[in-house]
Amino acid sequence: MKPSFSLVLISIVSMLTLIFSPLLGMDAQVSAEIQHKIMSEIRIPRVLFAFVAGSGLALCGMVFQAMFHNPLATPFTLGVASGASLGAAIYVSLGLSFSFLGIDGTSFAAFSGALLAITIVYGISRFRQGFSTETLLLTGVAISFFFSSLILFTQYLSNVTDSFRILRWLMGELSIVGYRDLMQLLPFVTLCIAIIIWLSRELNLLMAGDDIAISRGVAVKQIRYILFFSTSMCVGAIVALCGPIGFIGMMVPHICRLIIGTDHRWLIPASLMFGGGFLVVCDTIARLIIAPAEIPVGVITTLLGGPFFLWLLIRSRSKTA
Amino acid sequence: MSSLISSHHLSLSIGNKTLIENISFNVNKGDYLCILGPNGAGKSSLLKSLMGILPISKGELFFNDALISDYSQKQLAQLISYVPQASGRQLPFTVTEFVKMGRYPFHSALSDWQATDQQALENAFEITNTAQFRLRQMHTLSGGECQRVMIAAALCQQSPILLLDEPTSFLDPHHQVEVHRLIQTLNKQHQITIIEVSHDLNHASQHSQQILALKEGHTLWQGQADQFLEAKRLLALYDQDFVFINHPQTGAKIALPDEQQ
Repeated sequence: MKPSFSLVLISIVSMLTLIFSPLLGMDAQVSAEIQHKIMSEIRIPRVLFAFVAGSGLALCGMVFQAMFHNPLATPFTLGVASGASLGAAIYVSLGLSFSFLGIDGTSFAAFSGALLAITIVYGISRFRQGFSTETLLLTGVAISFFFSSLILFTQYLSNVTDSFRILRWLMGELSIVGYRDLMQLLPFVTLCIAIIIWLSRELNLLMAGDDIAISRGVAVKQIRYILFFSTSMCVGAIVALCGPIGFIGMMVPHICRLIIGTDHRWLIPASLMFGGGFLVVCDTIARLIIAPAEIPVGVITTLLGGPFFLWLLIRSRSKTA
Repeated sequence: MSSLISSHHLSLSIGNKTLIENISFNVNKGDYLCILGPNGAGKSSLLKSLMGILPISKGELFFNDALISDYSQKQLAQLISYVPQASGRQLPFTVTEFVKMGRYPFHSALSDWQATDQQALENAFEITNTAQFRLRQMHTLSGGECQRVMIAAALCQQSPILLLDEPTSFLDPHHQVEVHRLIQTLNKQHQITIIEVSHDLNHASQHSQQILALKEGHTLWQGQADQFLEAKRLLALYDQDFVFINHPQTGAKIALPDEQQ
């Protein structure tokens, strides 16, 4: 199948999810006026928010997979998301509240945490001789555990209300109202997407390995720092608003690669579309499965992602053996 | 006349481990330099520092009388191309996609594929005789085919200098000869300056012009390639006795490991 055709197909499907998801699960008992209000103030902003967040997470996952030549390497497995969570948790429990240029302080706290995590993980894996992706992944796991305990510690020290807020948020949820959160998220994700599109040729070359990329003229070190910075910003902003929604960054780009190939000029739009649509679907399932109650969407993505991770692990082992 | 590449007391260390120390050499346009030495002598590291993959820790490295640090990575890629050691890693590209990447240093994010780019691509395919693989996936190529495509990708960069890291290791005799002939054609007919890391001392002594022999990161010997094959020197380099015969067709001196040692 031609990449252009696959991309159109993916885009159509994800647009359909965008259109139909808000319509599902509408209570026929309530009046038309209330239904209208639910649509415009809850359902539509929520679906748009899910789409933007899903796109951002998928894209950041795609970048990490390309940079480290391994589908298991994503902002979540490498501890970037737990770093962001820790930053946000500390911000909440300290009762801080500030904003800069209309952007909430939580985003900055999460961004700092994300940047800290990737600095530690990448620093450690470089410090060790003969750096390998396995070292990187294991360092990421260790950092994730470490940061998770710090989050629990933060939570323990907080009062009951803050503690509950942190807990709910850690599960990853999208129960937002109105367009405020969407407007918080959009600038970060848009900027990150723009940078990644700008660097799509470099991403292709990074897939070929660092040595080849450098010998073709890519300033790998600088490009890597730019990518770390922009993905941390994007993941930080998303985590700050809806918690660490896991595994989208692993599943979506990998599936897209199977469908559309490895050329980032096609892979980037495909991951954006698929990632957005995927989180919209997961969120709709989370909203409907035990309606009228909702489960956090992070539970759904992780339930899907766990087995997928194992499948990738088994597949990559049998390939190298 | 000044040299194309000039290395003055080059040293390279990672952490507190010294990989190469105090290496000096000159390469002129059209030269063919072979770097020989036992495993772990620092041959690949030297090649990588020429390409800017590993940073130099001491000494100076000049290309056309300008320091390597004065070149951006893109400018360096227009001057030098590099064929890495076969890694066995699967490259997820088609042959055309991969070879086309050699045009990266001539483009910005917004520039289009030009007629000159297409010309460079066709030339690279033609010289290496790889046009028939265009649509194949890289990982479906055999070792010999893959090596030729790797060379095609480097040629697509149209750089006057080509670095090759053990281009014939892991190839059968037929494909070794094929790749070696290709390298000689590039050197003789296309005036490309070659620096090759190799374990094939007979090939190096017969077909290259200069040899740089490294051991434990130091220069053990350097000079004219045809002066290289000497029992004492090879013993010092490889810790292995050698005997010599003459090639029945060309009369060239051939070194063989001593079987009675």
